[in-house]
Amino acid sequence: MKRFRATLLIVPTAALIFFFVILPYVTVLLMSFRAPADGQPYGQGFSLEGYQQFFSQPYYALSLPSSLALGMATTFVCLVLGYPIALHIATASRRWRGLLYGIVLSPLLVGIVVRSYGWTILLGNSGVINSSLRNLGLIDRPLPLMYNNFGVILALAHVFLPFMVLPLLSSLQSIDPAIAQAARSLGARRFTIFRRVTFPVSMPGVQAGCILVFVLAISSYVTPSLVGGMRVKTTTLLVIDALIDQYQWPFGSAMALILAVTAGIVVLIFARLTRMKWT
Amino acid sequence: MTEVSLRSLQKFYGKTAALKAISLDVNHGEFVSLLGPSGCGKSTTLKCIAGFEDITDGRICFDNKDISRKLPEDRDIGMVFQSYALFPHMTVTQNLAFGLEMRHVPKAEIAQRVARAMEMVQLTPYADRYPKKLSGGQQQRVALARALVIEPAILLLDEPLANLDAKLRDEMRGFIRDLQKRVGITTIYVTHDQNEAMTMSDRVVVMFDGEIAQAATPEDVYNRPASERVARFVGNANILDLPIARTDAQGTTVTLPGGATLQITRPAPSGQSRLRVMARPEQITLTSADLGQLPGRIEKRYFSGGHVEYSVATDCGPLFVTGPTTQHFAEGDSVGLCFDPARLWPLPDAESAQ
Ligand SMILES: Nc1ncnc2c1ncn2[C@@H]1O[C@H](COP(=O)(O)OP(=O)(O)OP(=O)(O)O)[C@@H](O)[C@H]1O
Ligand SMILES: [Mg+2]
Repeated sequence: MKRFRATLLIVPTAALIFFFVILPYVTVLLMSFRAPADGQPYGQGFSLEGYQQFFSQPYYALSLPSSLALGMATTFVCLVLGYPIALHIATASRRWRGLLYGIVLSPLLVGIVVRSYGWTILLGNSGVINSSLRNLGLIDRPLPLMYNNFGVILALAHVFLPFMVLPLLSSLQSIDPAIAQAARSLGARRFTIFRRVTFPVSMPGVQAGCILVFVLAISSYVTPSLVGGMRVKTTTLLVIDALIDQYQWPFGSAMALILAVTAGIVVLIFARLTRMKWT
Repeated sequence: MTEVSLRSLQKFYGKTAALKAISLDVNHGEFVSLLGPSGCGKSTTLKCIAGFEDITDGRICFDNKDISRKLPEDRDIGMVFQSYALFPHMTVTQNLAFGLEMRHVPKAEIAQRVARAMEMVQLTPYADRYPKKLSGGQQQRVALARALVIEPAILLLDEPLANLDAKLRDEMRGFIRDLQKRVGITTIYVTHDQNEAMTMSDRVVVMFDGEIAQAATPEDVYNRPASERVARFVGNANILDLPIARTDAQGTTVTLPGGATLQITRPAPSGQSRLRVMARPEQITLTSADLGQLPGRIEKRYFSGGHVEYSVATDCGPLFVTGPTTQHFAEGDSVGLCFDPARLWPLPDAESAQ
């Protein structure tokens, strides 16, 4: 009886996971195997047509590697920009730390649409940067800053930077300051301490931040569509296109699943490569 | 072996003085403990010697060479931290090799020296373990070996045993002491545990409020404390405030309540009519009520294994006495207290000591 009552305690959690995680996935999985239809989201019976369509047409199939590359590039940029920021905040005095924290988190307070639109104002052909350069007489044709991977990666990195900085910061702040002192007393200089001690010890934060940013970047829709102007084709954009514009639910579901599984595999490989035996 | 000397070392954090011009000489191969209550500046002293804190004024010399301006990485010190501060991502072997790699010691020699150090602290079976997979005592020994394997000029330890349980602490105490004697390295050890300081050190430095109150052998600190505060901080102290009957060439004679006199073989500070003397609990013996120099009544009795502790009410206030277990007094018994005048220590007057 007692045991039974204890088992009851997991019911709320189990229900939550079932309705919000398992059920949607099962629905999408089922939908991806449905037969397509005209004038209707999906037809009768089951087929593999959604998957076939994706892999047989380069327009769709090639969006997958370019999405992954875009995600990786964004992650890399976030790491390179975010690590010094996190390191700086972690070592700042308490008064500065609050301010810097605020600056890093402030993008989260502004909606993603506004932030992406802001980038189009900056990077557009008649945007702030191009028109300034033109007025200064430095260029006579606008630089291709937008509607390409460069612009999208830049904007994505800005949008997701806080998700890199926060795990890095929590990882860096949990390092015992005596560890760096110990390394110093053993004769290590600043850069050596960073390379041999601080950075490797912060690896759990690097790992968490990279996974977070990668997953967010490849599934993002607003930024690539605004800054990329439909000229940068990511799988996520094609999924939305299939579901909403073409009204083909099985094909959209199949693409969404392919993207999710591929992203999962990439994350697993990354976690495997950066595995820490010491934690 | 290196001689360390602190000359009028001063450290301010903003406007507050953590160290008020302390001077101390530590000899070749000596084991010196810094002992004092929390916040008295023990760790600050150590951090200044290690170079982690800039000093406000004064000098720090190793072998008479001023090293006050040197960076920590150039000072050639071995340091053991309270938190051990092992590198979590390195195995025991890698932790020990780190300092040697920084010194560009050839690979073969590193392997040799690491193996020797590992043997010294009995960690050879754990060579490939990560610190998280070691017990507290084992981590402690890794930290010690890591500090010693570079054969530093001096060894600094900041409360290295504070995180261990009592039994392990006793064990490590002997271990560190033996190791230090074997290696012969000049060592400065910070602790707030007076027992630890007494049993391990050649010399104990008692600190209060950023100042050195006394620097002397454990025996001297215990039996001949420089002030009442030292007396009370190091072990239990009974302080008796007694009127002076006579001062002459033989010393000072004081009178106990009840009329008995004690002749202390040391002159009293001149111009005083009373003398404060210290008696340690084990320096007072209990006898039957009619025999003692001072009558008293047992208030509390605590059996503590090897001996019995009593709190005795007397006309000099409550006194703390320890006696052998072969002697039995019960709570409420009337007893006599006997003092050995040779072991009574006259304390300098609080005002005149200032
Ligand atoms: N970074 C700092 N900033 C300001 N004040 C400090 C700093 N470090 C120490 N102090 C002050 O200096 C004094 C001495 O500190 P210290 O750490 O040396 O004490 P301690 O004797 O080691 O005490 P404990 O036994 O608690 O470790 C204390 O009053 C402390 O508040
Ligand atoms: Mg301390």
